[in-house]
Amino acid sequence: MAGLLQFWFLLMAETASGHKASYGEVVEALPEIGRQFAALYRSFWSLESVPAETLELCRLRLAQLLGSDVAWRFEEVSLARRQRDELSRWPDNDGFSPAQKACLELTEMHAMDARSITDAQADAVKLHFGEVGFVALVQALGVFDAMIRLGLIWDLSSMKVDQP
Amino acid sequence: MGLELDEGRSTVTTKARVNSPQSDTGNLIKDSALGLVPETLPHYLDLTVAIWDAGPLSPSDIELARLRNANHVGCVMCQAVRYDIAVADGLTEDLVDQVSKQGIQAGLPERQELIVRFVDWYVLSPSAHDADLKRCLNEQFSEAEQVHLALLMAYFNGFSRCAVSLGGMPDSMPRMEISVPR
Repeated sequence: MAGLLQFWFLLMAETASGHKASYGEVVEALPEIGRQFAALYRSFWSLESVPAETLELCRLRLAQLLGSDVAWRFEEVSLARRQRDELSRWPDNDGFSPAQKACLELTEMHAMDARSITDAQADAVKLHFGEVGFVALVQALGVFDAMIRLGLIWDLSSMKVDQP
Repeated sequence: MGLELDEGRSTVTTKARVNSPQSDTGNLIKDSALGLVPETLPHYLDLTVAIWDAGPLSPSDIELARLRNANHVGCVMCQAVRYDIAVADGLTEDLVDQVSKQGIQAGLPERQELIVRFVDWYVLSPSAHDADLKRCLNEQFSEAEQVHLALLMAYFNGFSRCAVSLGGMPDSMPRMEISVPR
C-alpha cells in the first residue's frame, strides 16, 4: 500500500516539496525495460544517416504539437536560437535547410496520422538522407513521440533520459 | 454495435518505401527495414524481448494493449498478428474483438477495461488529467505493472507508426501467429 501511495505521488507530479520525478526515478519500478528504452532513445543521437541537429528540430516540433512544455524547454542538442524561435513557422523560413524542411514536414504528418504520409513526402526525405535515413527518421519520430507522451503522463520534471 | 477504431480514416500506401535488407535470419526485426539502421537495431531487439519477458503484465494483457493501439494507428499488419505466447496465455478472439471496437465494450473484465482506457488515454489525450483513471489503475495494478503498461505503449505505438510510415502495408491481412523475435 505504501508503495502504491508513493507511486501515486510520483505520477501526480508535484509533491509538497515541489519535487517532480525524473524518468530514472519512475522506471526504478521496472529497471530492465526502463534501461532498454533509454538505450534505444539515446541511440538516435549518434546516427550516421541523419544529423542530430535535424532530429532535435523534429523532437522539438513534436513537443510543440503535443503541447509538452517540459519537452520544448529541454535541450538534447544545441541549436541556433533563431531556429528554435522560428520553428513553428518553418515552412516560410529561410533559416531551415531543404533537408530540415523535408524532415519537419514528415514529422508533422507522422504526428497527425502516419497513414497520411505521402510518397512524395517520403521521397523528399530519402533525397537528402537516403533510405537508411528515412527509416531512421521514422524510427526516431516514434521514439521521440513516445518519450514526450511518457513525460506528459508521468508529469516528469525533465526530458533527460537518466538511468534507473 | 461498435465501430472499428480506424473506420473512416486514411489508408496507407501499399507501395513499400524502402527495400528491406537481403538477410534471411528468421528474425522479423532484423530482416525488416528496421535492420537497415545499425545504430538502433540492437536496441530494438533488446527492448522487444524485455517488453515481453521482463515485466509483470501477462502476455495476454500485453497483447490486448498492443492490439488496441494497432487499431488506433490503423496498422493492418499489427492488427493481423497474434503473438503465440499471448494465445498460449489464454488470449481469445472474443476478447480481441471486444478491444477492437470503439469505446469500452460492456462485459469486459475490469483489468482489461482499464488497459483499454489507459491505451486510449496514452494515444488520444496524454496531456489531459484523468484522476478517475489514475485512481482505478492504482486499485487494480501494481506500481511495476503501471510502468510496464506505459513502456509497452511507448514501444508498440512508436513501432506501429513506424511500420505504417514505411509503406508496403496491404489493405487487409489474414490473422497469423508469430513468436517474439529473439
